Amino acid sequence: MARVEFRNVRKQFDDEKKGIFTAVEGSNFVINDREFVVFVGPSGCGKTTSLRMIAGLEKQTSGDIIIGDRIVNDLHPKDRDIAMVFQDYALYPHMTIRENLSFGLRNLKKPKTYIEEKVREAAAVLGLEEMLDRKPRELSGGQRQRVAVGRAIVRDPQVFLFDEPLSNLDAKLRVQMRVELADLHKRLGATIVYVTHDQVEAMTLGERIVVMNQGVIQQIASPAELYANPQNMFVAGFIGSPPMNFIDARVLGNSVFVEGTEFALQDTIADGLRAYQGREVILGIRPEHIFGEDVVSSVSGNYRLTKQIKAVEHLGSENLIYFPIGNRTVTAKVHPETVAYPGLSKTFVLDFSKVHFFDPETQQRIEY
Amino acid sequence: MQTQTMTAPPRTPSPFKRFWREYGWAYLFILAPVLLFLSFTLYPVVTAFLMSFQKYNIMNSTWIGLDNYKRMLHDDVFWKSIRNTVIFTIGTVPINIIITFGLSFFIYQMKNSWQTFFKATLYLPTVASGVTISIVWLAIFDPTDSGLLNRLLELFGIDPLIWLGKSNSALLSLMLMNWLGSHGAGIILYLAAMGGIPKSLYEAADIDHASMWTKFRRITWPLMKPTTLYLLVTGVITSFQVFISVYLMTQGGPNFATTTIAYLIYETAFKFYDFGLASAQSFVLASLIIIVSIIQFKYFSSDIEY
Repeated sequence: MARVEFRNVRKQFDDEKKGIFTAVEGSNFVINDREFVVFVGPSGCGKTTSLRMIAGLEKQTSGDIIIGDRIVNDLHPKDRDIAMVFQDYALYPHMTIRENLSFGLRNLKKPKTYIEEKVREAAAVLGLEEMLDRKPRELSGGQRQRVAVGRAIVRDPQVFLFDEPLSNLDAKLRVQMRVELADLHKRLGATIVYVTHDQVEAMTLGERIVVMNQGVIQQIASPAELYANPQNMFVAGFIGSPPMNFIDARVLGNSVFVEGTEFALQDTIADGLRAYQGREVILGIRPEHIFGEDVVSSVSGNYRLTKQIKAVEHLGSENLIYFPIGNRTVTAKVHPETVAYPGLSKTFVLDFSKVHFFDPETQQRIEY
Repeated sequence: MQTQTMTAPPRTPSPFKRFWREYGWAYLFILAPVLLFLSFTLYPVVTAFLMSFQKYNIMNSTWIGLDNYKRMLHDDVFWKSIRNTVIFTIGTVPINIIITFGLSFFIYQMKNSWQTFFKATLYLPTVASGVTISIVWLAIFDPTDSGLLNRLLELFGIDPLIWLGKSNSALLSLMLMNWLGSHGAGIILYLAAMGGIPKSLYEAADIDHASMWTKFRRITWPLMKPTTLYLLVTGVITSFQVFISVYLMTQGGPNFATTTIAYLIYETAFKFYDFGLASAQSFVLASLIIIVSIIQFKYFSSDIEY
C-alpha cells in the first residue's frame, strides 16, 4: 500500500461550450498509507476530477501527484498501480464475472493458476462464488457492485479509488454496502480514496474527509472534527443533516443580539469576537442544539427565544421544527415528545456552548 | 294481493361488441399494412410457390410436379450462378464489413465536426440509385484508354484491361465496385454503436493494463457484435440478390461469368418466359437466404446490455 500526495495541483478544462474553466485549484493534501479518505462536495466541486487525476485518467494542468515514492505526473494509468471502482461499475457486459475479475491479471500475463487463485479469493471475500459464470446483466445492482470491487482487489494495487460507487443503489442496499466497504477496508488494510456527494457516506466511511467546493479544498479533517469545528460556512452547511442554521447577529459589548434579544457570551467567546464590536456576525447552531423549553435537559444559561412555529415534521425518533428568525428559517431537531404544531408560539432554548460565529464577508469561522 | 315489479337486468354487451369497443380502432389502423402485405407479398409468394410446380402459361398452366426443380438441378448455368453468387457474397460482405468498421473506427476518433462531415459524405452514395452508380462505374471500367481505372493503370505503365469483358476479371470488377460502394448506412450504425459503449469501460481497461490492441479485440469488437450481425445478415441478403449492377454492366456475361441467381431468375422469367422454372429458382434462392441467415443468427447473435 502507499500514500498519495497532491502538491499544488490545478486542473483546467478547455470546453467547447464553456471555454476554459478551472475544475481543481491549488490542491494540496496527503493521504497516508492505509488511510480511508473520502472526498465530498456538491456536483462540479472537483472531487471526481481529483480522483481521476490520481488514476491518471485526467492529466493535471500543473502541480505534482505522488503515489508511494514516485511522482506519477506523466505515468499512464496502468503504470500507477491503482485500481478504480467506477460509478457505473464499468463491467464488461459480454464477459462472465470470472472473465471480468481476471481481465487485469490476464493483461499482466500472470500464470493461469495464479489468476484462478486470485479470482477464487476475491469471489470468496465478496460472496460471488456462485456467480462466476454469469454475465453482469444476470446480477442485481448490489452484486454488480461487488464484482466491480472484486475486479479492483484481485490486482492487489497500492491504492484503491472509488468513484461514487454506491450512488446507483437503492437506500437499503447502500447502507448494507457501506458496512461491507468499511469491513473490506479493515480486512485489506488498503489505502482508499473514495468520492461521494453523500455526506452520510462520507461521515460513516472516512477516517478523514476532504470537503471541496468550486474546485477548492475547504477543509480536511476527521468526521468528528468537521462536524464539531467546521472551518467555514460551506463546511458547516454541507456536513450535518439537517444542515447547520445560520442566524444574523450583532456583537455589542459581551453579548450578541439576535432580533433585539440579548444573549450574553462566555468570556472566551466575547474575547474572540472583540474585533467584531458593533458589527454583524453569522451565528451558526446545529438543529440538535436547539431544544423545546418543555423538554430541555442539560442546557444552562438564559439562551431563550420565543418564536411562532411555521412547520413541524415528525420523523419518529425526533421532530423537526421550523421557525423564522429574521428572513431565515431555522430548524430545530427536538425530542419527539416536544409539544409542537404550526402556529404555536414556543420558547426554544439554544445551547450556546455549541454555537459558532462566522465572518459574514469571508464566511470563515471566527476563532476563539 | 301483492304485486311484484320485475326490473330487467342490465344488458351486457356481446363479446364481439366489447372486443370492438376495446380494440376496434387498433385493428382498423393495422388493416391497411396487413392488406398491403396480403396483396403484394403473401399472395405473390404463394402464387409463385404454386407456379414452381407448374408449366406456367397465363391461359393454361399444367401441373408438372417437381419437373422444374429437376430441370434446374440439371442446368449447368444454374450451378454456375450459385457459384458466382456465393463467390460474390463471400468476396464482398466480409470485406465490406471490415471497410465499414475500419472507416467508422477512424471517424469515431475525430472531433464532432469532422465526424459530421465524414458521416454526411460517406452516406451520400446511399441515397443515389443503383442505376446511377452502375453508370458511373461503367465509365470507370471503360476498357478504352478513356476509362478512369485504365488511366490510373497507365500511370504505373500497365496496359489497359478489359475489366468487364473478360471472364476472369468481370466478377472481380463487380466486387471491386461493391467494395468501394456505399458504406454510409453501416458507418452510421457502427458509429451509433461505438458511441453507446460507456467511456468508463475503456478507462477501466486502461487501469487494467490493456493495450490498444487488447481494448479493440476484447472490448470494441465484441461489443460491436449485434451491429456486425445485422450488417452481415442484411449484407448477405443483399448480395445474394445482386441484380442491378449485373443487369446494367455485364448482362451476366461474359460466358455466364457474372450470372448471379437473381439475374438468372430474371432471364428465365422475362427472356425465356419460363415462369415455372424462374419460380423454382426463386424458391431455392429464398431457402438459401433463410438457411444462411439462421446459421448467422445461431453463431453470431449476442445480447449485450450495459
